[in-house]
Amino acid sequence: MSDHQPAETPDNALPPLMSDAVAAGFPSPAEQYVEGPLDLNELLVHRPAATFFVRAIGDSMVNAGIRPGDVLVVDRSLEATDRAVVIAAVNGELTVKLLRRDQHGVRLEAANPAYRPIVLQDDMDTRIFGVVTAVIHQFVRT
Amino acid sequence: MIGLVDGNNFFVSCERIFDPSLEGRPVAVLSNNDGCVISRSQEFKNLQIPMGTPYFQLREAEKYYGLIFRSSNYELYGDISRRIIAVLQEFAQDVEQYSIDEAFVQVPIDDLEECYRFGLFLRQRVLRWVGIPCGIGFAKTKTLAKIANHIGKKRPDGVFVMPDDPSAVLATVPVDEVWGVGRRLAPKLERLGIRNAQQLAEKDDEFLLKRFSIMLARTALELLGIPAVAADTLHDIAQSVTCSRSFGHPVVDFTDLAESVAHYAAQAAEHLRRDGLVAAGANVYFQYHPEPGPPPRDGGFTGTTLTFPTPTASTGDIIKAISPKLPAMFIPGRRYKKSGVVFFGLESTSHQQLQLFSSHQDDSRKERLATAMDNINRHYGRGTLFNLAEGISRPWSMKRERLTPSYTTNWEQLLQVK
Repeated sequence: MSDHQPAETPDNALPPLMSDAVAAGFPSPAEQYVEGPLDLNELLVHRPAATFFVRAIGDSMVNAGIRPGDVLVVDRSLEATDRAVVIAAVNGELTVKLLRRDQHGVRLEAANPAYRPIVLQDDMDTRIFGVVTAVIHQFVRT
Repeated sequence: MIGLVDGNNFFVSCERIFDPSLEGRPVAVLSNNDGCVISRSQEFKNLQIPMGTPYFQLREAEKYYGLIFRSSNYELYGDISRRIIAVLQEFAQDVEQYSIDEAFVQVPIDDLEECYRFGLFLRQRVLRWVGIPCGIGFAKTKTLAKIANHIGKKRPDGVFVMPDDPSAVLATVPVDEVWGVGRRLAPKLERLGIRNAQQLAEKDDEFLLKRFSIMLARTALELLGIPAVAADTLHDIAQSVTCSRSFGHPVVDFTDLAESVAHYAAQAAEHLRRDGLVAAGANVYFQYHPEPGPPPRDGGFTGTTLTFPTPTASTGDIIKAISPKLPAMFIPGRRYKKSGVVFFGLESTSHQQLQLFSSHQDDSRKERLATAMDNINRHYGRGTLFNLAEGISRPWSMKRERLTPSYTTNWEQLLQVK
């Protein structure tokens, strides 16, 4: 069928409904189906091979919108920059915190005044598990 | 160039992704039924405790050295394995999974220095994105890549590219470490004065063909840098059995795909039985072609990991476990180029039965029963007799006392973070 269509540039050949998402950089198999049902993976999972889900417990990040029981989407392929919410290894345990990298050094801050910041001294690469890209907070667990 | 990418201490490394407290400590993963050591951290290796040591012999050492043991978590290892393949697929041209922790990649790079830098890049990607440290070896043939990988793994940068003239390297490799030679063949070769890989490479292939086999003649060619091992052959190695084929024509129909998987599973199961092995689980995958479009679509893999209710080599059990998983793997509208089954968690049946029955006599009785049932099933078709087999084998169900959660495959078992 494509033989009979006029030559198109790759840009205007994209399905119209999904063109925004494509421009925003979400390569996903689902973008091919203009009429297909929406897939939450497409919205939340940028790079499946590097994406892990973890469950938040405790209240150290409540002011960042992370509540106990929430599912966190963690992408290991993203660079952990200043103010990224990250999963990091502290004392042999993985924890969710706000990463700060500035003139005062590298530290992990809670989003709850009841918790103290944790100063990171050694190699950051081995301490950061990944960057939290989304929080899934379910009102009704099915 | 052909690269062999291999996850270092793979099962232990998988456990470490989710438990940083295991870093720097002597950790081992145990086989089915928590039987013996099948994967060791470097710290564990440094204690000179060999692979295959039964756990019960290590109870004292466990306390003394603070050894840490984990039961095999094949749900996790299979998922991590698929992630590695997906990352490789993104950066290399052709990816062929060879076992749960090894894959061959084809890269369009001839320059050795450039190949080395690409290897470092690939290694960093897998380490950062998935969390597994890998060794990578590049060479002109698979057999040489395997040797390059062994060398790469021991280097701090993890990557080794075989020089254009590999003879100096090959002279340092004992012949029994060459892929496809093995312990059985090595003594015969040594009697003929062939002690290292270079001596095998130099041997006349007519002679090898006559005295040994076509396989060994091919291995010798590969050592000379001439590709001679077919891309898609049934391989059996220590840790897994793989069966995969590229299709002659692109396959679009689900039924055809499912049939191909059943066929490979049956072949591989036969292979398991012949070698007296059972498998704890399998990775099943389909590989599909890229589509030129418009819009263009990338090719890729789709797959699943499953564990059997009990370790098995029965074709019926295996197909019964695999079949229900296939529809979810199928992406309609794609043209498939390959399907495959990779078994893992292999264990010899004699070893497993020894744990359950008191004497060797019972052992052989059990085996005779299985063979008889295989025969009956061949005659009358698969069916009720397999149910009977399951009933008999139920006491075998796996002991996994030190099992970590299925972090990546079960919503109820996600890692909890404070």
